[in-house]
Amino acid sequence: MKIALFSDIHANLPALEAFFKDLDSRKPDAVYCLGDLVGYNVWANEVVNEIKKRGIPTIAGNYDFGIGRMSNECGCAYKTDHEKSNGNISISYTNEIMKPEERAYLRTLPAHIKVEYQLNEDKLNLLLVHGSPRKINEYLFEDREEKSLLRIMHDADADIMCFGHTHKPYHRTLQETAENKTRHRHAINIGSVGKPKDGNPQGGYVMLHINDNSSILDKDSIQVEFIRFDYDVEKAARAVEASPLPDEYADMLRKGY
Amino acid sequence: MNFPEQLKYHKEHTWLRIEGNTGTIGITEFAQSELGEIVYVDQPNIGNSYKQDEVFGTVEAVKTVSDLFMPVSGKVTAINSGLRQEPALVNSDPFGEGWMIQIELTDTSETAKLLDAAAYRAITQ
Repeated sequence: MKIALFSDIHANLPALEAFFKDLDSRKPDAVYCLGDLVGYNVWANEVVNEIKKRGIPTIAGNYDFGIGRMSNECGCAYKTDHEKSNGNISISYTNEIMKPEERAYLRTLPAHIKVEYQLNEDKLNLLLVHGSPRKINEYLFEDREEKSLLRIMHDADADIMCFGHTHKPYHRTLQETAENKTRHRHAINIGSVGKPKDGNPQGGYVMLHINDNSSILDKDSIQVEFIRFDYDVEKAARAVEASPLPDEYADMLRKGY
Repeated sequence: MNFPEQLKYHKEHTWLRIEGNTGTIGITEFAQSELGEIVYVDQPNIGNSYKQDEVFGTVEAVKTVSDLFMPVSGKVTAINSGLRQEPALVNSDPFGEGWMIQIELTDTSETAKLLDAAAYRAITQ
């Protein structure tokens, strides 16, 4: 079973189109979108419609949640007043361009998707969230203490937890021992299609490989493939520059930060 | 921003209220405002002992995770179990219902190293 997971498109239509092209060539068995369809670029409605058209199961990101409710708060943790002021321009611009039907779609997106696989006479729970199971906008960075990640996954009954929001992909396998049994949990940040922040401007997503033998007892029985694809970064960056959005967002796309 | 006069402050943003030999500890209003919405407080077990400046727990906020530092040495005698259900009490009432632990002080002279309200306010500006 090949499960494609993507998120954080952020209104970047050239990136989404290139992603679909790459995705189709790999013939996944299932596709899920982990949210943040809008914000920071000009194609908010187009991105919503492309995802709707394909009927892809999608959860809400913090930006979708805010725009869906015409809020001026996107739940983003801007570090400086300058970042905050740029962020305010993006949220008010996105609120301005969002059409009613597309906004209603964002408003009705669910918070989580849970998929329970039945393998090896046992179950394997895949949990899809945007930030974390407890908060749509919680940042789970790669350096999060193991104890904390394990507690979050245990409380949510997640064997494999996939999330986005930080735009920085990683896979951590966490070992847990209970009643003399060693088991593993997988925390997977799937990166970002349209606004990567790991220094690589290419779009990114994850292909999760689960098979008959996949089990919580064997950490290597679940494979995570991080895929990067080229897209027309210049087109996306120039669209930012031609819009009321801050030009810095174009530089961020060109350099991947 | 509040800096209650009757409290003592650690430079790493915990406060201490002393009543007899008992100390109540939490994080300051400044600390919670810097952290943003708090989603979990990892508290120590009752009976654990910690030295002054030692980490006794962590606070997990939406943006980041931060260590909690002991303002003085002591043994944990109570934890605020209300934070399990409602960690955001630390945001809404950091000096009251958002308290984190109570301790039995082992050396009251250590309070001399702590900051008063004015000195703590100065390091936050």
